[in-house]
Parts: sequence; structure tokens; C-alpha cells
Amino acid sequence: LSSVPLQILFYINGFYYIFYFLATLAMIVYKSQVFSYPDDFLTPDLALLFIMAVLEVLRLYLGSKGNLTEEEAPLGLSLVITVGSVILSVYFLIWQTYVLKADVIINAVLLFTYGLESVLQVLAIATFVG
Amino acid sequence: VAKLCTCDLLVAQCDVNCCCDPDCSAADFSLFTTCSVPIVTGDSRLCSQKAAIYSLDVEANPPERVFKLIDQVNPSVFCIHATNYKQALSFSSPEMPTSENFDQLLKQFGSAAFSAEPDSWNIDSDTPNSSDANETYRYEYGVPIQTMDGFLRLPSPVVSSWCSDANPAGFLVNQATKCIRSVSTEKCGNIQAVSMLFYISSSILAVPKSSQMVNITVQSIVLQSLNGMRTLLNSNDVLRHPMILDELCINIVLGVSYHITYTDAGQIIEAAASFVLGAINKEALSVQQSFEISFTQVNTKPVPLSGNPGYVVGLPVRAGFKPQGYPFPIAVLLSALNTNKYGQLTILQSTSNQDCLEAQGGRTPVLFGYNMISGCKLRITAAMKCQPLTQALLDLLKGQSFPEYVASFGNSQAQDVLDWVPITHLHTSEQTMRIYNTFQSSCQIPVSLEIEVKWTKYGSLVNPQARIVNVTATTTTTTLKQLASGRERTIPITSSVVFTDISSPAEPGYKAWPTINAKLPFDFFFPFV
Repeated sequence: LSSVPLQILFYINGFYYIFYFLATLAMIVYKSQVFSYPDDFLTPDLALLFIMAVLEVLRLYLGSKGNLTEEEAPLGLSLVITVGSVILSVYFLIWQTYVLKADVIINAVLLFTYGLESVLQVLAIATFVG
Repeated sequence: VAKLCTCDLLVAQCDVNCCCDPDCSAADFSLFTTCSVPIVTGDSRLCSQKAAIYSLDVEANPPERVFKLIDQVNPSVFCIHATNYKQALSFSSPEMPTSENFDQLLKQFGSAAFSAEPDSWNIDSDTPNSSDANETYRYEYGVPIQTMDGFLRLPSPVVSSWCSDANPAGFLVNQATKCIRSVSTEKCGNIQAVSMLFYISSSILAVPKSSQMVNITVQSIVLQSLNGMRTLLNSNDVLRHPMILDELCINIVLGVSYHITYTDAGQIIEAAASFVLGAINKEALSVQQSFEISFTQVNTKPVPLSGNPGYVVGLPVRAGFKPQGYPFPIAVLLSALNTNKYGQLTILQSTSNQDCLEAQGGRTPVLFGYNMISGCKLRITAAMKCQPLTQALLDLLKGQSFPEYVASFGNSQAQDVLDWVPITHLHTSEQTMRIYNTFQSSCQIPVSLEIEVKWTKYGSLVNPQARIVNVTATTTTTTLKQLASGRERTIPITSSVVFTDISSPAEPGYKAWPTINAKLPFDFFFPFV
């Protein structure tokens, strides 16, 4: 009953997120050197990035556990956390201090992945419940 | 972007080869050879920005300028797509100074180099304020004395002789000023500056920026009548206001004398004011007021300093006695018994009649740096006896209580015994060459007293302080020959003070060469040591 596409997506998401995290961190460092990036603006951006990393780890763990053990509770919790991750991704897409084109690209991909995962998670929950 | 032109330097005139200059007409463009500014864009780091391109079309006849407005795209993947930070890409216009932000702007821009980040981004800028609150303030020399509303005023003449109330009294700065205040008798009750209340109304802050107040008490009131006669009032607590009596305006403040008592921690603990009140009549248009302020340290008697620390030329030389039983009763002040009331070294003062025996005993204080000589003429008659004459002359020359010690610095305290120089006494005789046996039968009377004060420059070369090192009082005696009866002789008696500078030349003082303090470890040569 476990959803194989969902599991594949979680797996790919894990790798992609590592890339995303490192890329965003590197770009923030680049921006702070090249542009004028005062501490007042740098601190929230970095903090949100780390929060997002924590949420992502939690989300992927719960989601994959729920999918493999065919329980809907962790999967539901993972869905809730996905909402938080989506908001953070939108922040990095629109409300960051400097949004580079590269930021737009990787955040768009991340949002697309989240969207796809959410749909598959809902379907999986429906399958497990029903 | 279309309106920006960096080569447009001349106002209302066409700049040569400037294709974007709005002042140029088509005829001017036809004379250009190239465009000095081919493109004007915004920040090139943005992903897409507008660009104005100017070029000359030389094919056409006459050449004409071509202007194109396009969107330039930055191909890099790191181009800025958007910013949420207003000042990101432009120079921020500086803040206009107003009275609120002036202090902050001065702190930020007032020094030789600006700080890299403005203080508004630093949260640390709030902490100095709170740490100051825990610091104890204290008055320092010259700092204006603060009162509840502003500063303690000591009216003084500014430019002209008219009183100005804007002169603050400085801490430990003894001042005395005189100035003229314009009054009118009809409104004398309304003029604040001649009423007592004006001078004692606001209380003095004990330390700057504190809430501890010291009230100004009225120490004494002296009434001065129109003809100048002064009487001291017995009751000091009644505040007297100016009022019109007959045709006079009475209780006008003619002089205020403030006495401030302070501790050595820089705190004011007492303030007293003595007033001189007078009366003016209807015709008077102005009144002269005099003000003074003096400072006394708590638990000390005010001893006027003759310099701080070195003696100041023209101020009296301070002297005194060592109390009996030193060193045990150390608490007794040295200046308890003084040459004169103020603890000064004095010499005989010449009088107009120059007769020694009629001298009233007037003495003048010895002023530092001023060599003085004074004297009188002694008329010796046959009837004078030797011993009382000797004693009288000694009293005349040395005074009633000639001191034993002289202060070496102008501000020497009586408690510091090492700061006081003992006076050395020498006796010489005028007739040292005479045969010895004439000494014994004749009378030796002192005829001159010479005080030699040796002083040296002490301290730094830039600001040397005068310090008395040695004081020698030499009494010269002469033989009094017995006179035939009926005859008299006049001999001069002199006393003098000489100041000699025995300073040694200044020596430069250099810091010691730095030494290299390198030692090998204890067990460096282990197997062998």
C-alpha cells in the first residue's frame, strides 16, 4: 500500500535539499560580500534558512516513516510541516533581502517538489485510511 | 534613465560630443564626431534594467543622433531579481540634521574617520547611557555649578559694565565681579535682579545630574544706608524684598557673596550667601552690584593659598610654628600660632616718620619673589640702657612672633610637616675685626635683619613650580658705644628680604631603554646541567 512515487520523491528531495541548503548559504555569503548586507537583514535570513533545514529533516523523516509503515499519523504531521516549509520557501523566493535569479530558480524547483509531494501524501493518506 | 546624462556639465549650453545633452539641438548633433557617453544604464547587477543608448548615425547627411531605450538583460545567474531592502543599490541621501538627531550625527560623523556602520545598526549604543547612570558624578575644577534650573549665576560685566546674568560660577573658581544694573525706582519691586529671592531661589545640585539639592542659606545681611554706612542685621532668616518707602527703594541687593562648602569627593554640601542690601533714591537710574564666590573644603579652615603648588610671584610667603611636643600631637595644626593672622612671614614696615621707637609695630607680609627692604632710624640718647634697647630692637625687627618654619610650596598643608622648611638663624657682627676685649664690655644691638629665601624651580620644564628650599635670617649686631650725656646718635635699622633662585638647570629625562627579557627554560641543557 505504500506509495512508491512518494518514496522516490522523498529520496530525491533529501538530496536536492542538501544542494539547496548549501547553495542558499553560499549565495548569502556571496551577497554579504558583494552587496551591502547589514546585520539587521542578514540575521533573519540566516535564521530562517536553518529553521527550514530542521523542518525539512523532520518532514522527510516523518513522511518516509509514515509511508513505509503505512500509518497516516506521521504522514499527516509531515503534511503540516510541509505547509511551513512552503511558507519559508516563498519567503526565500520573494521576501528575502536580495533575490538573485539563481534563488528564484532553486526555490521554484523546491516549491514544485513540495507541491508534488503534498499531492502524493494526500493520496497516500487517503489510501491508508480507506 | 532617459533623463540622466553624465556628460551634461554646462547648464543651458550644449556640451561637445555629449549625445544625451538635452540642451543640444539637431544642428549641434550634426557637428559631433562621436558620442562620449554611449549608454546610460541603471545598476548593471540587476537582472533587467532600462538602458538608454545614444549613437551617432554618420551615414545620414547631416549626421544625426539616435536614441534608443531598451531593456538590458543581465545573463548571469547571479543577477539581482528583486530586493526588499530599500538602500541596497543606491547611495542613501544623508539625514538632515535636526535638533533631535544632531547628537547622534555628531557622534557618527564628527571625528576624523566615519565608522563603517552607522550607530543605528548597533544595539550597543544604548548601553553607554545605562552605565553612566551608575557612575557617580562629581564636580571638577571649572565645571559650572548646576542648579535646579540651569546654572548658578554670578552676574558679571560682559563687554560693557552692564550686568549680564549669563555667567555661570565655576566650581573651585574663586571669582569677584562688579557690574552695573539699570533700575528704575517706580518698578523696583518688580525687578528680579535686585531682590534677594533671585539669588537664593534655586537650589544647587550636590553633584551634577543628581537629584540631591542643597539650599542656599542666608548667612548674613548687611544694610547699607544712602551715605554708605553699613550695619549688620541680627536676624538672618527674614527675606527682605525691595519695596518703596518714602521716596526710596529699599532692600535693593548691592552685593552677594556666596560661600560654598565642598568635600574632596567633588560634592557640594553647603551653600551660604551673604547679602549687602541698600537703598536707592528716585533719581537713580543704575546701581552697582558686586558679587563674589569662594570655596572652602569641608572640615578645613580656609587658608588662602599662595600658589598651587608652586608659589606665585606676588603672593605672601606662608609661615608658622611647630607645636610643642611634636611628633605626638600631630592633630594640632601648624598654623595655630602665626606670625600674623594669616600665617605669613612679615617684615618691618617703614613708616613716614622713620622713627623706630615710635613705630606702631606695623608689619608688611613678605611677598614671594619681591625683594624688599625697609627700615627706620634709631635715635640713641645717653640715657638708654643696653638690654631693653636690644630687646626692643629685636622685637621691632622680628616682630612679636617670628615664625620657625616656612612653607616650601604655596599650598603646603599644615599636617604635612615635611613640606615646611625651618628658618635658619645666623648672627653676625659688624665689627668682627675689632679687638676681642672691646666686645665684652660693650653692648651689641641688632641693627639689621636680612632674610634670604632660596628657591628653586621644581617639576616639569614646561610648567616649573617655585619651591622654597632654604630660609636664612641673619641678624647683624653692632657695638653700641656709650655716649656722653646730652648727645645723641642716629643709626639706621634695616630689614630686608632677598629671593635667590638656586635652580639647577633642567635635565632631560629619558625613558629607560627597553631590555630584552629572554631567559632560557630552566632545564634547557638537561643532561648536562
